[in-house]
Amino acid sequence: MTARAAKYALLILAVLVTVAPVYWMITISLKAEVDQFSSPPKWFAFAPTLAHYHDALFVRSFGRYLMTSAVAAVASTVCAMVAGTLAGYALARLRWPGRLDRRLSLWILSTRMFPPILSAIPFFVMMSDLGLRNSVLSLVVVYTGMNLPFVVWMMRGFFREIPREVEEAAMVDGDTRLGALWRVLLPMARPGLAATAIFCLIISWNEFLFALALTQTDASMTLPVGIAGRVTQYETKWGVMSAAGVIAMLPILIFALAVQRHLVRGLSLGAVKG
Amino acid sequence: MPFRALDKLRPASDRAAGYLLVAPALVTLGALSLYPLFYTTKLAFQAGGEWSLGNFTRLASDHFFHAALLHTLVYGAVALTLEFLLGLALALLLDREIRSRSLFRAILLIPMMLPPVVVGVVWRLMFNPDFGPINGTLRSIGVATDGLTWTASPALAMVSVICVDVWQWTPFVMLVLLAGLQAIPREPYEAAMIDGASAWQTFLHVTLPLLKPAILIVLLLRSMDLLRVFDQVRILTAGGPGFATEMISLYIYRVAFEVNFDFGYAAAMAFVLLIMTNVISLGYIRLLEREESL
Repeated sequence: MTARAAKYALLILAVLVTVAPVYWMITISLKAEVDQFSSPPKWFAFAPTLAHYHDALFVRSFGRYLMTSAVAAVASTVCAMVAGTLAGYALARLRWPGRLDRRLSLWILSTRMFPPILSAIPFFVMMSDLGLRNSVLSLVVVYTGMNLPFVVWMMRGFFREIPREVEEAAMVDGDTRLGALWRVLLPMARPGLAATAIFCLIISWNEFLFALALTQTDASMTLPVGIAGRVTQYETKWGVMSAAGVIAMLPILIFALAVQRHLVRGLSLGAVKG
Repeated sequence: MPFRALDKLRPASDRAAGYLLVAPALVTLGALSLYPLFYTTKLAFQAGGEWSLGNFTRLASDHFFHAALLHTLVYGAVALTLEFLLGLALALLLDREIRSRSLFRAILLIPMMLPPVVVGVVWRLMFNPDFGPINGTLRSIGVATDGLTWTASPALAMVSVICVDVWQWTPFVMLVLLAGLQAIPREPYEAAMIDGASAWQTFLHVTLPLLKPAILIVLLLRSMDLLRVFDQVRILTAGGPGFATEMISLYIYRVAFEVNFDFGYAAAMAFVLLIMTNVISLGYIRLLEREESL
C-alpha cells in the first residue's frame, strides 16, 4: 500500500510541476496589477478581470497577429495536406522501379533534418527577391515546405495500414485507381488525415524562427513574433503579455487533446506506433 | 470512365501515376529545401564573389562561435540526460497499474504542445526575481532570495534555460518510452519471473533491451532538436546575460539578421550545424532502415 501511495504521490508531484507554471500565467492574465505584484504570490485569492484580454486584442495589435497566425497555419496546412497525401499514397501503394519509392521517402524525410536557421537565410533572400517579405504569403509557402515531409510520412504510414484488398475490391467494381483513392481509401484514412492536419496546424501555429526572420511589420507578424517583440522590451506589461500567451495557447490545447491518440506517432514521424 | 483503360496497363500506368502524384510534393520540396541548401553552400564557400574557405577559417578564430558551440553542447548534453532519466522514470511509473492513466498522460503532455514562445513567457513570469512565484515562495518559507535572479544571473542563467527545456520536453521522452513499454509482450517477463529474477535484474535484462529501439529514436530526435534550440532561449535570456546562454542558432541569427547582416559567415556556421545534425540523423535513418516497417 505504501508503494502504491508513493506511486500516486510522484505522479501528482509531476502533474503539479507541469501545471503550476501554466496556471500561474493564466492567473497573471486575469489579475489587476496590484495582485500581480503582491508578495507572497497569490495563487487563488484575487479578483479576476478581463481587462488585459480587452487590451491585448483591441487596444494593442494581438488580434491582428492572431488573424495572421490563423491564416498562415490554415493555408499552409491545406497546401501541405493536398500535396503530401497524394505523394504519401503513391509511395505507399504504387509500384516503383528499383525501390525508388524508398529512396524518395528517405530523401523527403531527410529534408526535415535541416536546422531551420540554415534555411532562414536563403528564405530571407528568396522572399526579398520575390517581394514577399513581410507578407503572410511568405509564411504560407515556407510552412507548406516545412509540413510536407511530415504529411508524406504520416499518410504513407496510414495508407499502408489499410489492406490492399479494400482498394482492389473497389477497382474490380469498376473504380479507377484515383476513384478508389477518393471514394474508398480517403474515407477509411479519415482519422489519420484529421490527426495529420491538426499536427500541421500546431507546428505552423507554434513556429517562431522563420516568422521572426520573414515578418517584421505589424501587419504581417504572427502571434509568437508579436509576443516575443513585446516581452523583450524594456518595460513589460505582464498582464497583456500573459493574456496574449493564453490566447496563443488555447487553440493548441484543444487541438492537442484531439490528437492525443496519435501523438507519439506524429512526433516521431511515424517511427513509433503509439 | 477515361482512367479505366489506363489502369489496365498496370505497371506502366502505375509508374506514370506515381510520378504525377509525387510531383507537387517533390517540386515544392526541391524549391524549399534543395535550393536553400545550395544557396547556403554557395554563400558559405564564397567571399567577395570568389570561391574561398575564408568563412571557415574565420570560424576557427571566432571565440564567440566557440563559446556558442560549447554552450549548445553543454545545454544539449545536460538536458538530454535529465530528460531521458526523468522521462524513463515517468514512463515506468505510468506503465504500472494506474487509475486514470490517460488523464495523467494528457496533463503531463501539455508543456510540449505549447508554443515555445509561450513557454518563454510562462517561465519569465516564474523566474522573475521580484514578483515571480519561485522567489515568492522561497521568501515565504524564510529563504533569502537576494542573489537569485535566475535568468538574469550569469551563474544561474544556463541552469534556468536547461530547466525550462527539461520541463517542456520530458513529457515527449515519457510518451515515446511509454509507447515502447506497452508494446513489450508479457512472455519475457513471465519467463524472468519463473527464473526468479529480481525486479532490478528484470529491468536490466528484459525491459531495457526490448525498449532499445524506442530509446534510440527518442534520444536521436531530442538530440537534433537540442542542437538547434532557439525559441525559448531567445525569449528567456536572448543569449544573455552577456554571452552566458548564447547558442549556435541564436548567434547565427544575430550575425545574419541583427548585427552584421553577414550572410556568408552565418551560412558557414549554419553549415557546421547542419553537418553536426547530419551525423546524428544518419544514425536515425540507419535505425529506421533496420525497422521492419520501412
